[in-house]
Amino acid sequence: MTTIRRFCCNDLLRFASVNLDHLTETFNMSFYMTYLARWPDYFHVADAPGNRVMGYIMGKVEGQGESWHGHVTAVTVDPEYRRQQLAKKLMNLLEDISDKIDKAYFVDLFVRASNTPAIKMYEKLDYVVYRRVLRYYSGEEDGLDMRKALSRDVEKKSIIPLKRPITPDELEYD
Amino acid sequence: MASKFGLAGGIPERRVRPIWDAVDSRQFKNALKLSTALLSKYPSSPYALALKALILERMGKNEEALGVCLNAKEILCTNDSNVFVDDLTLSTLQIVFQRLDHLDMATSCYEHACTKCPNNLELMMGLFNCYVREYSFVKQQQIAIKMYKTAGEERFLLWAVCSILLQVCCGNGGEKLFQLAEGLLKKHIASHGLHEPEALSVYISLLEEQNKYNDALEILSGNLGSLMMIEVDKLRLKGRLLAREGDFAAAADVFQSVLELCPDDWECSLQYIGSLLEDDSISVKDNGPVHTTKSIECKNLHMPGEVFDSRMSRAVNFIQKLMEASSNSERGPYLALLEIERRKLLFQKGDADKLLQGLMQYFIRFGHLACFASDVEEFLHVLVSNKKSEFLRNLVKENEATTVVPAKALGQSITVFKVQNLIGNLISLPVDGNHKSFIYLTELENMAVQMTQMFYNNLPLSKDLDTQESMYGEELLPMACNILVQLYWRTRDLGYLVEAIMVLEFGLAIRRYVFQYKILLVHLYSYWNSLPLAYERYKSLDVKNILLETVSHHILPQMLASPLWPDLNILLSDYLRFMDDHFRESADLTFLAYRHRNYSKAIEFVQFKERLQRSSQYLMAKIELPILQIKQNSNNIDEEEVTVSTLESLGYGTHFIDLSNEIGSKLLTFNEDFNLRPWWTPTYDKNYLLGPFGGPSYCPRENMQNLIKQTELDAVKKIEKRSLLPRMIYLSIYSASASVKENIEANGSTVDPKLPLELKILLERYAKILEFPFREAVELVFGVSSGQKSLEVPSMDIIDWTNFVVFLNAWNLNSHEIGQGDSGRSTWKLANTFLRKYVEEMIKSAGPVVSSPGNDLSFLVQLVTEPLAWHALILQSCVRSLHPSAKKKKKGGSVEQSNSQLLNEIHISIQSLRDTIEVITKWLKDQLQKPHDGKFETMYSLVQRDDTCDGPGKVFKILRSPVSAMKDAEVGDRILEALHSWDPADVVRKIVAGQDGLLLELLKICESRIKSLQALRIQL
Repeated sequence: MTTIRRFCCNDLLRFASVNLDHLTETFNMSFYMTYLARWPDYFHVADAPGNRVMGYIMGKVEGQGESWHGHVTAVTVDPEYRRQQLAKKLMNLLEDISDKIDKAYFVDLFVRASNTPAIKMYEKLDYVVYRRVLRYYSGEEDGLDMRKALSRDVEKKSIIPLKRPITPDELEYD
Repeated sequence: MASKFGLAGGIPERRVRPIWDAVDSRQFKNALKLSTALLSKYPSSPYALALKALILERMGKNEEALGVCLNAKEILCTNDSNVFVDDLTLSTLQIVFQRLDHLDMATSCYEHACTKCPNNLELMMGLFNCYVREYSFVKQQQIAIKMYKTAGEERFLLWAVCSILLQVCCGNGGEKLFQLAEGLLKKHIASHGLHEPEALSVYISLLEEQNKYNDALEILSGNLGSLMMIEVDKLRLKGRLLAREGDFAAAADVFQSVLELCPDDWECSLQYIGSLLEDDSISVKDNGPVHTTKSIECKNLHMPGEVFDSRMSRAVNFIQKLMEASSNSERGPYLALLEIERRKLLFQKGDADKLLQGLMQYFIRFGHLACFASDVEEFLHVLVSNKKSEFLRNLVKENEATTVVPAKALGQSITVFKVQNLIGNLISLPVDGNHKSFIYLTELENMAVQMTQMFYNNLPLSKDLDTQESMYGEELLPMACNILVQLYWRTRDLGYLVEAIMVLEFGLAIRRYVFQYKILLVHLYSYWNSLPLAYERYKSLDVKNILLETVSHHILPQMLASPLWPDLNILLSDYLRFMDDHFRESADLTFLAYRHRNYSKAIEFVQFKERLQRSSQYLMAKIELPILQIKQNSNNIDEEEVTVSTLESLGYGTHFIDLSNEIGSKLLTFNEDFNLRPWWTPTYDKNYLLGPFGGPSYCPRENMQNLIKQTELDAVKKIEKRSLLPRMIYLSIYSASASVKENIEANGSTVDPKLPLELKILLERYAKILEFPFREAVELVFGVSSGQKSLEVPSMDIIDWTNFVVFLNAWNLNSHEIGQGDSGRSTWKLANTFLRKYVEEMIKSAGPVVSSPGNDLSFLVQLVTEPLAWHALILQSCVRSLHPSAKKKKKGGSVEQSNSQLLNEIHISIQSLRDTIEVITKWLKDQLQKPHDGKFETMYSLVQRDDTCDGPGKVFKILRSPVSAMKDAEVGDRILEALHSWDPADVVRKIVAGQDGLLLELLKICESRIKSLQALRIQL
């Protein structure tokens, strides 16, 4: 009951019911369009019958050497379509592309340390907390950098948790 | 900033680095100092100049920056071979030129540089980028071909191909250009092959555009097909191409393979069934509006019955196999079975009972999901009404019989309510006030009570949820609200309206994030003239960026007809800034897509920008912002002068006339997302509550589509009408002033004869938009003013007619075409009467704001801030011209006589206008002077009725249930605290304060208008 396809510009005009949810950020246009221009394979939307947007995922692939990885920038599901594992499907898709097409070592994401429901969900999807980033969100709240190793990282080195928290300026990527 | 061999723009990098650092750290003064020093060493270095220009622009010294840029350009464009030309210099200059709005100059710098260094790829790429910014698709193509010839790289060829495609889809290029693009690609593939997945995708879509599906299929199955890495995407494309080619049998096989890989893919299920039925519509490329529903109706199906049967049984067999293989959580196969039953019914070979069975099975499995009702909506449409009722009865029975975990049971019960609403039986019973209808109303009320009670009772389910998470049963409150609004519509008992508000406010008190509640409240508060409160709720939705385009319609139309000018100004300015910023940056993002070889995105970005540029809301905002400025200025004491200077900055309104002329040829886009609007106002120009109860609240989709179509047609007309206003205001002011000058100078030498003529043409156009020939419109308004005719139009159209009358008078001051020699018609009198008549009519019929929701107030606001304000401007223009500070008054007998006549008319009109406004101020003051407590009591008492009374109060009683009934252990601390702090009286107080705030704003405008009219009278 879900058609997952590449996100396109017109979807920006269709995602209001998803983005009005207070936890979903509506970014500026250049943000979305930079992702579309650079990583269109990492930006997918799930459609339901009746031309409704169920949710979407946006991400990118970046890094060098063993840090070459997929990154989940946002994943969100309309309240009407929650509790049916759509986020999982979207995450799996991004992981698949990172793994099979781009041969990345791992996929990572950032989540507010206080967002317990999301953290629990990512843990169910086999993500582990790799490190804590102090005051990552607007200089106030800590962020958790969560990771999942892909098949190229045979020894799962990428997900061995760091012992100490880091500050945002120590992050390798934005 | 890049550099080569330690040189930057021909200057050693160590010399320029400190400047870059200073700019990066925003120390522009220091940067300027360093740059001046650099220039003293390299006075004719274009890069040093470009840097200085960049710094000056950042400091806001635009003129100086432009001067320096032009200096650099001049040096660059000489044929002096000693001048150092590189991309760093040119791109730095480009940045400054772009920010100064002189894209063309940057382009000409690059063009010159490319001529000078013909094979420099970097410069050619820069030039390509310039053309992308200018949307010069032909030039893009030419330079891309040149780059391709120079470097032989695939990407440049694709840049050229995209530029060709853009000429066809967004420019004036004919479809023949496709052949050119195809030829270029073919030649390249023959010699070099193709290496990028995106290149293949562009190639295929190029072939699709030319209906060459076979060719596309051949390519896909050949070597190039391996470029598509995701197998299922390849299959989807293959299926689509086969269907478009008409090979439905093969297409069905392919879609079947897709479904085996992705059994939940709904789109593919439709394509699979469609292919089996040889239905063309499945493969039509979707270029339509973004918010319509795709529905396949099995039209034009010419298939023998037995073939149909065998195809459908093949589909059933296959889907059943899928069901066995797939997990239970996937809705796709189950819905596909329902779709097959639906198709059978449409083909007259179906069995409604089978569809009912399927629906019941779907309910048993997925009935607890929030999306159940929207999932099955399409299937319910094909059932006749007694089958729909049977389905509902079965649902209720099933729901009562099953014992499942509480959260699931709650989900199922909500689904039953939703289906009930969906099939429309909430409204289908008679309403003629007889016994049956009374019972029905009670039933309806009971449902709202049940829903609210269900929400309340199930609060413990959400005990352990994070405040960020959606609560169980959240949807019940908007459903209860919808019923209460319906009860209000049917009975006009305001108590229901208060209850409708209360359920939502109660919900927000418990969890403040639910946007659905907020949207409904925006509309309820707007309807009840508590617009400041509606706006507050709207702001809490945090609508920004692209949502401004799709969501603003919830508040913008109400704000446009309100006196909340500063807030409206923010709304319009923010929206326009967002759109204009996007138009500015869009080309750079397009170039980014080219650079990253995502060619299809480059094309998509250009199309999307065009779509937004043709947005009806954007055009409307572009017109309404200056109209707002005129309104705001026209309320100053020096109103006329300020207004004229505002109009001057708008090209005296001529820009908008151009815009109005273009509208006919432009295909406007409508990007508003109406899906979240409440049932009683499905589009921004429709509100059922303003009329008597008369029909279903439930709008079947097909009705909704028609409604939206009508809204779109009306919007085009409205934009055209509004775009005439600024020019008409200017011409009216001019005409008024010229008429006096004519009188004073006796020979009329200062009047530009073209302008009154233009005003007449615009009046004719305005009348035409109002669907009347000019002469007939004139007859009509005179008829109305004398009481012989009446305007049978909605109240908001009266504003347009009053505008017409006011401008008609201004035009006639000069042309004297009306009132010459015939029955002594006076357009002055006409304007006075019109303004007075509608104000008095409205005030007479209006009840107290606190108990009279509706449109009256916004009608009054518009009357005061538009036609009345324009008329005041015209009066002021006359007075100023009669008493100019200049000394060139010449007096002659006849002039003096006609002036005194004019003086008299002006005198009367000022007095009349003042009297009219005083009627309004008196009414406003009466409203505002009523004690606050009294208003509060009036509203609050509507829901505080004892149990023995019929009517509203029952839902409210649940919301007022003693918190003690809810043990803290049951609901948890957070919810318990919310229940404790919930204060319904405060809600009522805020509504009243919002209403008073609105009245006060209007009063301020009226009082300021009276003051300026007084000042005018003294000048006479």
